[in-house]
Amino acid sequence: MQGRSIVTDAMSMILQLLQAGLGNLAAYLAAHVLLCLVPAFFIAGAMTALIPKQTVTRFLGRGTPKFLSYPAAALAGSVLAVCSCTIVPLFAGIHRKGAGIGPAVTFLFFAPAANILALVYTGTIIGPDLAVARLVLSLAFGIGIGLIMALLFHSDDAAHDHATDVIFAAQAERGLSGTALAFILFWVALLLAGTLKLGFLTGAWVEARLPMGGAAELQALLDRLVPYDAARGEEGVSVQGAMLVLLLLAVGYTSWLGFERIQEGWNAWTGAALALTAATLLVAALQVEAGTSGLAIGFTGKFFAVFAILMALAGIAWSRIGEEELRDWLWESWRFVKQIFPLLVAGVFIVGILRVIIRPEWVEAIAGVNTVLANLVGVGFGVFMYFPTLVEVPVAKMFLDLGMHRGPLLAYLMADPELSLQSILILAAIIGRLKTAAYVLLVALFSTLAGLAYGAWVDGSSLWQIGAAGALGLGVLSTALWLANGRLAHRHA
Amino acid sequence: MLTVKILGPGCANCKRLEEVARKAAADAKIDAEFVKVADYNDILAYNILSTPGLVINEKLVSSGKIPSPAAVAQWMTAARDGA
Repeated sequence: MQGRSIVTDAMSMILQLLQAGLGNLAAYLAAHVLLCLVPAFFIAGAMTALIPKQTVTRFLGRGTPKFLSYPAAALAGSVLAVCSCTIVPLFAGIHRKGAGIGPAVTFLFFAPAANILALVYTGTIIGPDLAVARLVLSLAFGIGIGLIMALLFHSDDAAHDHATDVIFAAQAERGLSGTALAFILFWVALLLAGTLKLGFLTGAWVEARLPMGGAAELQALLDRLVPYDAARGEEGVSVQGAMLVLLLLAVGYTSWLGFERIQEGWNAWTGAALALTAATLLVAALQVEAGTSGLAIGFTGKFFAVFAILMALAGIAWSRIGEEELRDWLWESWRFVKQIFPLLVAGVFIVGILRVIIRPEWVEAIAGVNTVLANLVGVGFGVFMYFPTLVEVPVAKMFLDLGMHRGPLLAYLMADPELSLQSILILAAIIGRLKTAAYVLLVALFSTLAGLAYGAWVDGSSLWQIGAAGALGLGVLSTALWLANGRLAHRHA
Repeated sequence: MLTVKILGPGCANCKRLEEVARKAAADAKIDAEFVKVADYNDILAYNILSTPGLVINEKLVSSGKIPSPAAVAQWMTAARDGA
């Protein structure tokens, strides 16, 4: 009898875990993904396909002064490098043939942090404050680390092979066209309309009732299938959410048929996939409540805004953008979806399971308060755990719900995409072990500092105190570097 | 006989480019040898900023995107007739 009860216990345990994973997945798909991630994927695709690289890279040549090359490197990171296919060659190019190690490092550091997908996702799931903190601190530290690396290794840079910087000197054959820019901006508008929580967007302007018997029963059924505990930060699935998950599956299926062979031309499935995507976005913008008398549907300001912007986008795409560019755009967007989405789905599922296993007391004990140790733990976890793009966000959200302080959380969020075993290996192949070690140490140091500073701000310290502490730290660091540099220069002379 | 090089570390776009190029060569009945270049030093020698890159008879014809099979066939024909 004893044995059987252990078996049934294990079975019910596994069932409970599976249910937690699936529940988390369904809740994420229904609630968060659509109005933020779908436009973000299309924006990322448009940036890759429609912005000519030369518009930015011509500021990355050897002859460009520092005050131009560092911001240009950061800009290049934010607009050109959504995919690692672009990051590594561009990094190697800037380092070897262009502006040198400093701007190359700035580019490398800022690219993952300014990635539009990651920013949008962080903003929606964890909070805009953390997204903004991540962006601003990454920009400041990216340029800072770049300058320090340039100073540390300036003799190497000077002895650089005198490769021509012909790839960077090339003028743009055509600049960023106004049409492409308008297209990208409209997508950004769509993203904002879908995610901003402003009264006139979220409130319903027109209400309609859809008599549907059993709506309330359906909701009760969904709540039984995906049980949730709001106190633990868990979310359930609404009737609308279930509809959206179904629509998403349809979009996925038609996209596969419509976008996979897009180079060979547009087909009927392509049109179907785009139409279904638009329909999904519109349904996601509605306010749906299941009651005993049927579905109450509220047409929100968001709905009208999304509709108007989708019309404008269709107009621009139809009349102003060439067929080849449209193909490139759809392909790049689809490629991002294919590359990132399956891993994200798997990641969210696993996070749902882990959430049941990890005890909040553990997290609170280690990283519940903003201390140096807590921030170091955050950074260490980020370095040693390698999560695919975007999966770090649900992981962070889980830790937040389990009681992690926002300071160490930021430290983790900054270190995780910057440093992974994979990126460290590639880096070592291109710039050598010594420089890689210096870079890794600097990133770890600065991420810890970022977490501490942000945590202090959350805890109520004034910006002045944090600024003063930061300035003091930077002063000590630069003095040390300056002294080290003087000795190095002396030895070389 | 053309030499077609696919520049790229093996990401999704590089694989797709190779498919497109092989298809273009087959459709246009052009005899070509395909070479994959995955080493960054070799890739950078062609002065490109983003992969995938397509090189036909040592001339870079496209980089950072996947051209349509028709365009690739055109470059291949031009390279064969020019040679």
